[in-house]
Amino acid sequence: MKRRWLLWTILIGFPLLAAFGAAIGLQHGMGSNPVFRLQVRADLGTWILLGNGVVTLILLLGVTGFWGAHYLRRQVLANAQREYSLSRRRFIRHLEHELKNPLAIIRAQLTYLSERAEGVSPERILSDILIQIERLSRLVAHLRQLVELEEQNIECVPVDVASLLCEVVEASQTHPNYEERQVHLLLPRAPWPLPAVNGDRDLLGLAFFNLLDNALKFTRPGDTIEIRAFENGRSVVVEVADTGPGIAEDDLPYIFEELYRGANARGYEGSGLGLALVRAIVKRHGGNVKVRSRLGQGTVFTVSLPIASWPFVTSCYKNVTHRYPADIHLKRKRCII
Amino acid sequence: MSLEGYRILLADDEKALTDYLAPILNRAGFSVIVVHDGNTALRYVTEKHPDLIVLDVLMPGLDGREVCRRLRAAGDWTPIIMLTQVNTTVDKVLSLEEGADDYLCKPFDPHELVARVRAVLRRRQVLANQPPLIRASRLRSGNLILDRRTRRAYLGGQMLELTPKALALLEYLMLHPDEVLTRERLLDAVWGWDYPVATRAVDARIAEIRRALGDDPESPNFIETIVGIGYRFLAPVEPLEDGR
Repeated sequence: MKRRWLLWTILIGFPLLAAFGAAIGLQHGMGSNPVFRLQVRADLGTWILLGNGVVTLILLLGVTGFWGAHYLRRQVLANAQREYSLSRRRFIRHLEHELKNPLAIIRAQLTYLSERAEGVSPERILSDILIQIERLSRLVAHLRQLVELEEQNIECVPVDVASLLCEVVEASQTHPNYEERQVHLLLPRAPWPLPAVNGDRDLLGLAFFNLLDNALKFTRPGDTIEIRAFENGRSVVVEVADTGPGIAEDDLPYIFEELYRGANARGYEGSGLGLALVRAIVKRHGGNVKVRSRLGQGTVFTVSLPIASWPFVTSCYKNVTHRYPADIHLKRKRCII
Repeated sequence: MSLEGYRILLADDEKALTDYLAPILNRAGFSVIVVHDGNTALRYVTEKHPDLIVLDVLMPGLDGREVCRRLRAAGDWTPIIMLTQVNTTVDKVLSLEEGADDYLCKPFDPHELVARVRAVLRRRQVLANQPPLIRASRLRSGNLILDRRTRRAYLGGQMLELTPKALALLEYLMLHPDEVLTRERLLDAVWGWDYPVATRAVDARIAEIRRALGDDPESPNFIETIVGIGYRFLAPVEPLEDGR
């Protein structure tokens, strides 16, 4: 803080002092008229007063500006903190909900077992308990994976998005809802095919699969799902659009949060971590994901990933082109720019 | 090859867990000693020399990692299965420096632990007079050599072009020769995540390794497909001493 004040004083003080000196000097040198010279000498005090006045004014302005900026910064920080604490509270509430249900089920099953009541066989109850335990294990594992994804190194090699999307669509054909939906994959051929992006093919595949899986899950029979990809010179953009029930406007800001379930998503099976995973994967690849939705009309998720030739990204694997020597394992770095 | 009567040290501070795990291991034919902290575990190993240690990572006193490091630093290569917790990445556990023979993520199926104990003991029996694979910086199987330090693989002296993930997968397979490895386990170990759809990712990388090795899936020399389950590295693997 002290250093900042010193800087201010030097920045404003010195030019002022110089200007002051120059003014006096100018007046001095101006001439041969002794009366005038006398007048200047007599006014030296006024000049100093005036100079001080100007310095004070500028210092005052500086202080006000400084405090204003400080106040604004504090406001922004407080807002971010409030938002963080809100989202943390939402997360804990949702986590509690996700844990509570299987635990309540296990408790009921154990009580039933201890009462040795007629009806369901003990073997059946034990296997039902195991199902709930697996549900909890899965939740813990997926939460861990989400955290790890932010920390661990990911592979950074050129990925052909077009062939990846073909595979993802193919994999989704085993989804029980696939037959009753119109699924279209639209890939550009002209003027050139999709360029490659840098990253981890398996993780990107997982992100696209999650988006498509969501679309299949939340749409109704007869609905249309389109997976479209194009490029805009900087990024490869992949859209997953559907004519499903849509997401309520109030839910939209939160759907990428861990364990958040929108009003339309309750009652469907799933960990509530799918979209959070999509966001984490896309972020790790230096891209972004957005959503637009209209209730009753449908939803479109838009993923943008930097093109492999985009200079900032290629720097993360400088010596590698489309061939991957085994030693890039040692050189691999985070894909985040 | 009987594994009956082997002495296993089970080190975990969660008494509620060891109370149930110990009898399960006992019933599988092993004799089990339970300790609840790292210092006691270390003392027991140096005095009584068990045949295998099941080591929890988070323990009072010395944690499992430290116990493992100290044993390895002292030249003790008793097989270790590490019970990892949330936030431990796999490549760290299976790294050369760490020196654990295998790891299992909590919460696990107790039968899976028994299977892993058997597999690790069997692997050590096969290599009775050689240093364990996990310690070797280079692995050899026929004319295939994998250098774990430089992250390169060679077939008949020719360097193979493999993606980092494929190389890590090959490494994991070679560290567990003759073991049937499910796709889920490979995903968990090499990828660090396990989603149903991702089993295709395993198949894709196996195909990449096979292409590089020129291995025919129909009559494989190295990697065998176990239909509906996963894969097995069928060729014998030996540690390669440095300088050979």
